[in-house]
Amino acid sequence: MTVTSTRPPASGAHPETATRPVLHGHTARLPWPFPDDLDAFRYSVNVEPARVPRRTAAGEWGAHIVDLGGEEYGAIMADRRRILDADPCRVRIMPGMLPACWDLLLYYLRDLAASYPHVLELDEDGDRFHWRNHALGTDQRFVLGDAGSLPCDPMTFLGREIPDDLLLVKERDGALCFDAGLVTFAAAWSVSFDVGMTMAEIHNPVPRLTHEGITSRAEQFLRRLPADQVYRRVNWTFSASGSRRLDVSLEELPDWGTDIPALVRDRDWGRLQLRIEVEHFVRLPMTGAVTFNIRTHMTSLEQVRRVPAWRDQLARVVLELPEDLAAYKGFLDYREPAMAWLLAGEGAA
Amino acid sequence: MTHLHPGYRTGTRPLRVAEVRALTDHVRQVVLECPDQTPLTPHEPGAHLVLRTAGWDGAVKQNAYSLTGDGVLPTRYTISVLRKDPDHGGTGGSAWVHDLRPGELVEVTGPRSAFAPRHDQRHAFLLAGGIGVTPVLSHLRALARWGGTAEVLYSYRPGHAAHLEDLRELATRPGLTLLEATTVADTRHLLTQRLADQPLGTHAYACGPPALLEAYVEAGRAAGWPEERLHLERFTAPGLDPGSPFTALLGDGRRVEVPAGTSLLTSLLEAGVAVPNLCRQGVCGECVVPVRARAGDIEHRDLVLTQAERDAGATMAACVSRGTRSDSVIEVAL
Repeated sequence: MTVTSTRPPASGAHPETATRPVLHGHTARLPWPFPDDLDAFRYSVNVEPARVPRRTAAGEWGAHIVDLGGEEYGAIMADRRRILDADPCRVRIMPGMLPACWDLLLYYLRDLAASYPHVLELDEDGDRFHWRNHALGTDQRFVLGDAGSLPCDPMTFLGREIPDDLLLVKERDGALCFDAGLVTFAAAWSVSFDVGMTMAEIHNPVPRLTHEGITSRAEQFLRRLPADQVYRRVNWTFSASGSRRLDVSLEELPDWGTDIPALVRDRDWGRLQLRIEVEHFVRLPMTGAVTFNIRTHMTSLEQVRRVPAWRDQLARVVLELPEDLAAYKGFLDYREPAMAWLLAGEGAA
Repeated sequence: MTHLHPGYRTGTRPLRVAEVRALTDHVRQVVLECPDQTPLTPHEPGAHLVLRTAGWDGAVKQNAYSLTGDGVLPTRYTISVLRKDPDHGGTGGSAWVHDLRPGELVEVTGPRSAFAPRHDQRHAFLLAGGIGVTPVLSHLRALARWGGTAEVLYSYRPGHAAHLEDLRELATRPGLTLLEATTVADTRHLLTQRLADQPLGTHAYACGPPALLEAYVEAGRAAGWPEERLHLERFTAPGLDPGSPFTALLGDGRRVEVPAGTSLLTSLLEAGVAVPNLCRQGVCGECVVPVRARAGDIEHRDLVLTQAERDAGATMAACVSRGTRSDSVIEVAL
């Protein structure tokens, strides 16, 4: 079998993009969370096959499992490494989960080397591996399963190479449990608090999700995730911070807790951040653990306003959302003035 | 799209026989490798590989065999197959495997995991009976690799103990111990004694003939083990009586009369309804179909569905479960 990687066509080469405004690379790569025809959002088990490129009004995303982040890769990884160095509690591995972390590391390094062959390389010789990341300058030899051959645990090693938050779930007594995680970019939750919980316990606070049977259907999906397919799901909210800051975890609450009240007071709506999370689900074969890895993207209303299709759709979806969901997502109190600003900005870009 | 790296294939594909070795008079070890030398897919301890074999009558069969390796980065898959003769209910699949020679290609599917260890077990109690030693060996090798602790009880007939030397060698390592029993009385005695004396947090696993598994479950319950900690893998399902005839109503409106002694699965396949199936013994769960029936009209005889799923009455294993009475009508939503 030949290892191939699918590459998105260069933007600009496509006839449709020629007439579009030239956009910031970040916006062009943004995984816009809504299908073109969607006007009303409700939670659903909205999973789809991974590695399928998806065109958006501003570009394209989704060709690979890991989106390194283009020109932002270095900055995101510096942020990730700074947080991990300062707060080791962002990595939580429950007893017995180390083999699953090796399984995760191997799967991802192999996938990365095939997806980005000019930047990332993995040489294999039995259980000996040699990983090189030319963008970050990593050059590491290791033996799979030999803890002493890496400078840190295998999950942390991977987490210092890619922007995704890493989460592993495994079955215990008939329930899927979140039993290992490296999370530096949590949206108002804490890995230390959630680790070891069942999926049902974690999702109980989300309105409608458990009562409408979505949690159990999502759990069934993960439980039956086939070994030979990779899936993804896109989720969204507004960030709890009025900046591109990715780390809005509960650990950092004192740093960001007053951001949104200040932004609302100043009616500074352009700084509001649409937060988009792309989740990837892979069944790891050596341990049966399933990944629930989350890559977080952020874009400001200021940026959204420059893409008319996005601007109109976001305003429609946000204003239509029932109160309980709007309250859970945190924008019930300010969605009307914020969306009025977004729509009034026609041609203002 | 599926995985980018070739070392994650689980679909049906050919593997080459690299080596064949007699372990006992009736057990042969077959070593398989990838014809293009790419890495094989890792697997959980206790996983099995499905081989496309042929029966005495030449009909194609799918036989599942436990992999005996630890599952970590395998370069070869190794299975140990007991030859089952016709007077012991053998239908030819194992004899077909015994006739394999190095260099031949075999069509395989998997590995599939159906008997995996609990990742957070603090200790393992492993019970092997006869050829049931194969998944137990896989568990033990994984424990040796990752540094876990275990006690193994191997029940065998002298002269017919496949992998005994492998187990004895593994048991020389710290934290791993082996007990051997060569009579039914010894096995029962040790089982009762050892199940009553395992550290808190132990999970137990058993693979062997039905009588041994019954004794295991009984001894486990008597010693106060919660059911979720008594894992088992059956390689032979209990014999089933022919049952009553009944009627199946298909999604397209057709009525299929299922005679006594014929399974719903066979009847569906004969009617041209494609139902995925594998073990045909109510063990693997592959042929579970969506159904609707009056309460009490389904006689569940599988070992897959939970009590709650049986009570819901919306699914049944077509290979072994059937209508209760001759006037039972089961709507099959296919």
